[in-house]
Amino acid sequence: MTPKRKQRLILVSLMLFGCAAAVGLIITAFKQNLEHFHSPADVVAGAVSPGTRFRLGGMVVDGSVVRATDSVNVQFDLTDNRDVVTVQFDDILPDLFREGQGIVAKGQLNNDGDFVASEVLAKHDENYMPPEVAAALEKAGQMPSTAATFGSKTLVDP
Amino acid sequence: MFKWIHKFGSPPFVYGVSKAISPWIGVASLILFAWGLYMGLVKAPPDYEQGEVYRIIYVHVPAAWMSMFVYVVMAISSAIFIIWRLKLADVVAESSALIGASFTFLALVTGSIWGRPTWGTWWEWDARLTSELVLLFLYLGYMALRAAIEHPQSAARAAAILAIVGVINIPIIHFSVEWWNSLHQPATITRADGPKMHISMLIPLFIMLGAFQLYYFHHLLVKMRAGMLMRDRRARWVSERVEGGRL
Amino acid sequence: MKANTELFRVFSTVLRREMRVSFASWGEGLNPLLFFVMVVTLFPLGVGPEAKQLAAIAPGVIWVCALLAMLMSLDGLFASDHRDGTLEQWVLSGQPLSLIALAKVCSHWLRTGLPLVLMSPLLGVLMNLPAATLSTLAISLLLGTFILSLVGAIGAALTLTVKQGGVLLALLVLPLSVPVLIFGAGAVQAVAEQRSALGQLSLLAAGVMAALALAPIGIAAALRVGVASGD
Repeated sequence: MTPKRKQRLILVSLMLFGCAAAVGLIITAFKQNLEHFHSPADVVAGAVSPGTRFRLGGMVVDGSVVRATDSVNVQFDLTDNRDVVTVQFDDILPDLFREGQGIVAKGQLNNDGDFVASEVLAKHDENYMPPEVAAALEKAGQMPSTAATFGSKTLVDP
Repeated sequence: MFKWIHKFGSPPFVYGVSKAISPWIGVASLILFAWGLYMGLVKAPPDYEQGEVYRIIYVHVPAAWMSMFVYVVMAISSAIFIIWRLKLADVVAESSALIGASFTFLALVTGSIWGRPTWGTWWEWDARLTSELVLLFLYLGYMALRAAIEHPQSAARAAAILAIVGVINIPIIHFSVEWWNSLHQPATITRADGPKMHISMLIPLFIMLGAFQLYYFHHLLVKMRAGMLMRDRRARWVSERVEGGRL
Repeated sequence: MKANTELFRVFSTVLRREMRVSFASWGEGLNPLLFFVMVVTLFPLGVGPEAKQLAAIAPGVIWVCALLAMLMSLDGLFASDHRDGTLEQWVLSGQPLSLIALAKVCSHWLRTGLPLVLMSPLLGVLMNLPAATLSTLAISLLLGTFILSLVGAIGAALTLTVKQGGVLLALLVLPLSVPVLIFGAGAVQAVAEQRSALGQLSLLAAGVMAALALAPIGIAAALRVGVASGD
């Protein structure tokens, strides 16, 4: 082998080594919970300690929304169909917020195990259909669950 | 193989083909636009949750789709230009930049208009919005670099390198902002378990996609003709065409 | 001579030359660091000295300032080598241009990136960052500024023949550095919120490895274009 070719071979193998190392490091990174996204089940299981800021995703439990009469303070329950976490929020809710709808809340746990949100985001889902179809599906009990996916996590279907 | 490329990659031949087919593609695109808009804005039913507002997807989704498609076309033709020095590939890349940037801009504007009623805000620093914005910056950088280098040959090669570097970065940018902040709904149409959209709404969307795609091809063909004339302005085939009045 | 020692010799020769040149004009080399320190100190003056607020924006502010300081230093990275013909000699030398470019980038990082990294804990203290985050800040900048050097050098090589290419360089490099900024500032943010920054840091490390492997090819290709157009 000529020296030039050998040089090229060394450089190419160094390059491949670099790429392989990059892939390995990316895999390591994915093993971490990068999104800091947790479901109510994680919270109930004690995966997050109070004071740590994270994002909580789930569906608003029907009939759980309690609004204060003298302020914008609102309290509601969030579920992933397994466990329930109570969320407190002291600001104006987005228009798409309603019971049974999927939301993402950012905030932290207080010492009572309630989630104090600093921000609530409503997600509109990826399903598009005419109202009649939606009504028919609802009747047949086949309505696709509204809050099916959040980022990389999928909530448990009932 | 190379003979084939030589024939079909030669500017006079491509010019002739482009001139022959581009009007038809333009007309086809117009028809699809009219049909798709009628189907989408008039015939398709309102959405069960978003009402009439969702109809903006008939512009937003095709524009967003095309913004990425055009960038990929640009990057692939840049790579072909760098590796095989095929000048025509550079004409394709150059002619795609402005329209790609326009699609990106359109996707951003319509997304913003859609965000107002559904998310309650004109602009949300959401993953897809942000990466679309970065994509717009990449297009603008490409055009700026091309314009800044005086020597046309160097401008073409430098811009091609930038386009290739950019295409490696797009998935990384997309992933990073996705991880950073995501509010956008997951993909509706390209999913493993089939599209999650009612057929009456899906058909107009596909028609509009076809319309946008054909419009891009039409624009590309017309712009490529101008690019080829500019590049080969001293070549014989151009002067023959000019003298024969067959421009 | 053995091929690998030959490669190492090329790399170290260029690196030593570059370091010697930069020591000869060390005052100029300090400018990015000064810029970094000054812009960061502008924030308390502009936003107000409230400690809690400063701590909240500190990771982002320090990272953005580091990014801009790196960007400023990149302008003209290859300009003097182009002017005096060194670049042409490198291209004609028959030695791998990507390796020479890598040595050049390493020296640039030692000259500008490393001082920023060393200064960053001090700025973190000024911005009221909790002490626990300072090491993460420095590590994230250590990895991140190296990626910025590598990616930025592609931009510097592309704008080689552009007159006053500084603004154009920013236009090209800033969109590409979005992920570095997100993961870098994200790592510090994570530690500030009592979470592990391991994910972000390993992504930055992955970026270093990928950029080390791929960016020199891009720089070399761009330099060849610049030299070929040599008026």
